[in-house]
Amino acid sequence: MFALLLMAYVAAVKVYKKTTPNGKVTVYLGKRDFVDHLDYVDPIDGIVVIENDYLQGRKVYGQVTTTYRYGREEDEVMGVKFSKELVLCKEQIIPAKKDSNKDYTPIQERLLRKLGSNAYPFLFQFPANSPSSVTLQPGDDDQGKPLGVEYTVRIFVAEGDDDKGHKRSSVALAIKKLQYAPPTRGRRLPSSLVSKGFTFSQGKLNLEVTLDKEIYYHGEKVSANVIVTNNSRKAVKNIKLAVVQHCEVTMVNAQFSRQVASLETREGCPITPGASFSKQFFMVPLASSNKDRRGIALDGHLKDDDVNLASSTMVADGKAPNENMGIVISYSVRVKLNCGTLGGELQTDVPFKLMHAAQGAGEGSREGEGGGRDRKMKRTKSVERNRYSDNYANDDDDNIVFEDFARLRLNDPE
Amino acid sequence: MSSLLSYITTVSTMRRQASTSQAIMRRRSCDEILFMIFLFECGKMRATRISQMPNVQDHLLGWNIPQDHMELVHPHWRGFVAPGKYWHIGMALVYFMLLVMSFVGNGCVVWIFSTSKALRTPSNLFIINLAIFDLVMAVEIPMLIVNSFVERPVGWELGCDIYAALGSVSGIGSAITNAAIAYDRYRTISCPIDGRLNGKQAAVMIVFTWFWAMPFTVLPFAKIWGRYTTEGFLTTCSFDFLSDDQDTKVFVGAIFAWSYCIPMMFIVYFYSQLIKSVRRHEKMLREQAKKMNVKSLVSTGQDKERSTEMRIAKVAFTIFFLFVCAWTPYAVVTLIATFGNRELITPFSSMLPAVFAKTVSCLDPWVYAINHPRYRQELTKRCQWMGIHENEPSGGGQAEAVSVTTERLKNDDA
Repeated sequence: MFALLLMAYVAAVKVYKKTTPNGKVTVYLGKRDFVDHLDYVDPIDGIVVIENDYLQGRKVYGQVTTTYRYGREEDEVMGVKFSKELVLCKEQIIPAKKDSNKDYTPIQERLLRKLGSNAYPFLFQFPANSPSSVTLQPGDDDQGKPLGVEYTVRIFVAEGDDDKGHKRSSVALAIKKLQYAPPTRGRRLPSSLVSKGFTFSQGKLNLEVTLDKEIYYHGEKVSANVIVTNNSRKAVKNIKLAVVQHCEVTMVNAQFSRQVASLETREGCPITPGASFSKQFFMVPLASSNKDRRGIALDGHLKDDDVNLASSTMVADGKAPNENMGIVISYSVRVKLNCGTLGGELQTDVPFKLMHAAQGAGEGSREGEGGGRDRKMKRTKSVERNRYSDNYANDDDDNIVFEDFARLRLNDPE
Repeated sequence: MSSLLSYITTVSTMRRQASTSQAIMRRRSCDEILFMIFLFECGKMRATRISQMPNVQDHLLGWNIPQDHMELVHPHWRGFVAPGKYWHIGMALVYFMLLVMSFVGNGCVVWIFSTSKALRTPSNLFIINLAIFDLVMAVEIPMLIVNSFVERPVGWELGCDIYAALGSVSGIGSAITNAAIAYDRYRTISCPIDGRLNGKQAAVMIVFTWFWAMPFTVLPFAKIWGRYTTEGFLTTCSFDFLSDDQDTKVFVGAIFAWSYCIPMMFIVYFYSQLIKSVRRHEKMLREQAKKMNVKSLVSTGQDKERSTEMRIAKVAFTIFFLFVCAWTPYAVVTLIATFGNRELITPFSSMLPAVFAKTVSCLDPWVYAINHPRYRQELTKRCQWMGIHENEPSGGGQAEAVSVTTERLKNDDA
């Protein structure tokens, strides 16, 4: 009996819900993380439930906004605002527009069945090129909202199109837009070969760094094979390795780098003239080992427990990388050979990608497909159906677990 | 001709009488002297009014300065009729109002910025520094009020030197602090992520502002280069710009460049760069919005995007304009007196620039601090009696973010 209950629990679908302050309108979302598959993005699907006779001729609107915050609130002087809010889409949900399709996503169908006649579905699409959610970790003494790109779904009751609604009757849900790694990691091994000559002596110092993968998943060990061949007359004093996170804030055309993992070794040192050295080093870039360091980019985080370093920004085929928007993240392994104060340093960067593993197994067939939005919709549905198939078989309506939506932001002042 | 002769003799006898009576009086206690002078002046004033004495009978400037201190009065001033009692009282009244304004405004700034934790940022150190300079300028006002009642510099040479040194330190200091604030704002706004000055850099710059103010304060004080002397109604003191020698001319030219031109150049340069970078950021954000297929629309009768740039430009221009207002009159008067036709320099026209400079020092807290949202909040909290109502920032974050009101293009598929 207990086992059966447990089974039922495991099979249950988690649904996030949030109610307006006045308690009249409740919004249900199937998930908070929406994945950008490069050729299409998961649509934002949800349900709005209205208390009986509450509206009285008013309408319910929904909008998706993205907020860019590219400077601290406390630095806002002279009336400058370091934050921009873009309304990506805004639609009337109740009463439903006539032309809206009756094609609901599985989770919507389930919720509609469960929540009855006062439930209305809504569906929003992320616009093409929309950036991924990124949060820049605030420092110890930083106040106010963290920097980054965030998305919010806002549902509000209003009189008409121009009415912005009242706080008491509106609800905002913070969501994330993420990118996952492609299903196959590729065979290419990133590597870099550099050499350095010295002004007053002959011969060169060669450094070759090779990584064992092009794409690493969060939490995986990054392995760098370092080969030093010293044909110069200088000796290598020590070797420094680091995983560097490069962060490009396109809104203000700013770039900066932070080391998220590093090690320094004197192993095999000094590498004397004529000698060579070869070794594999391991580093694990983790958000947890970079707590409270200002400016570390994280995947937009909604709760304390789901923190991970920001995923590398992927670019769809046929698009220039500089067309990226929001905050663009990339990673590299940086190896530095120190040849003493006079000899200087030899340094190289080997780029790699740090991402989440792709979701689901049956997604391999997706590649190379184009097609219009309808087809994408259907594909989404089929994936979703896979996810919920167990429940369909049972057709057990009570298998929905409602979780209250997480607080909007990490360090809300209240 | 004879009338002129008699006039001159009258004046000279009167001056002699004045000086002898003062010599006697010097033996008495200071308070008594002040009181007696006050009575004497009142009596004289009444007499003037009752008997409608002709203008010829009026004193010339410097009549009440004893021979020992005649050095304080440049011969240029001795050609002018001494201003009446009411001029002095009016001047004292104006200065008294400035004193109150300056103490309230700048005192509040120093008090709140230094005691509120949220406001203790490196950038705000400059605001505090400016308020301190302005307070130093306010400290000389009580001296002037006393001077106005006795119609001569109290404390003779030493009093005059102290008065002028305070004015010089605060004037030059606040000018260069204005430039430092412009630099800090430029850094913060042009690279909001990591551009702002840290505490150490800010502290170094503040020390630098005090050093900047030193040369033209210490050198005339020590009479190494230039000297301090009375000006206008002989109740205020400043550096000597009337002596007709090469030294004075070079000194005036140098102080003009040092305390007016250089800070002004910095201010113009940094604010124009700042406006440029704000425009660049706005443009970049507009482009990104366009790429995401969201078209910025004019929201509720006001073009908000434009106003961001315009608002910044307005604030920058206000600051520049205030700087010009504060110091241009002084610059013009001293330059004319030194290099131009000094007949234009009347006691009144040489008193006016100081009033301008002091007025601006009272306005500084309004311009720099009242524009500061957090300062306003803090002021609301602590001084309810002031009747300032600043809304606390809402936790939702949506209300205050400058929203680029955007809407999907209706016909983007077409």
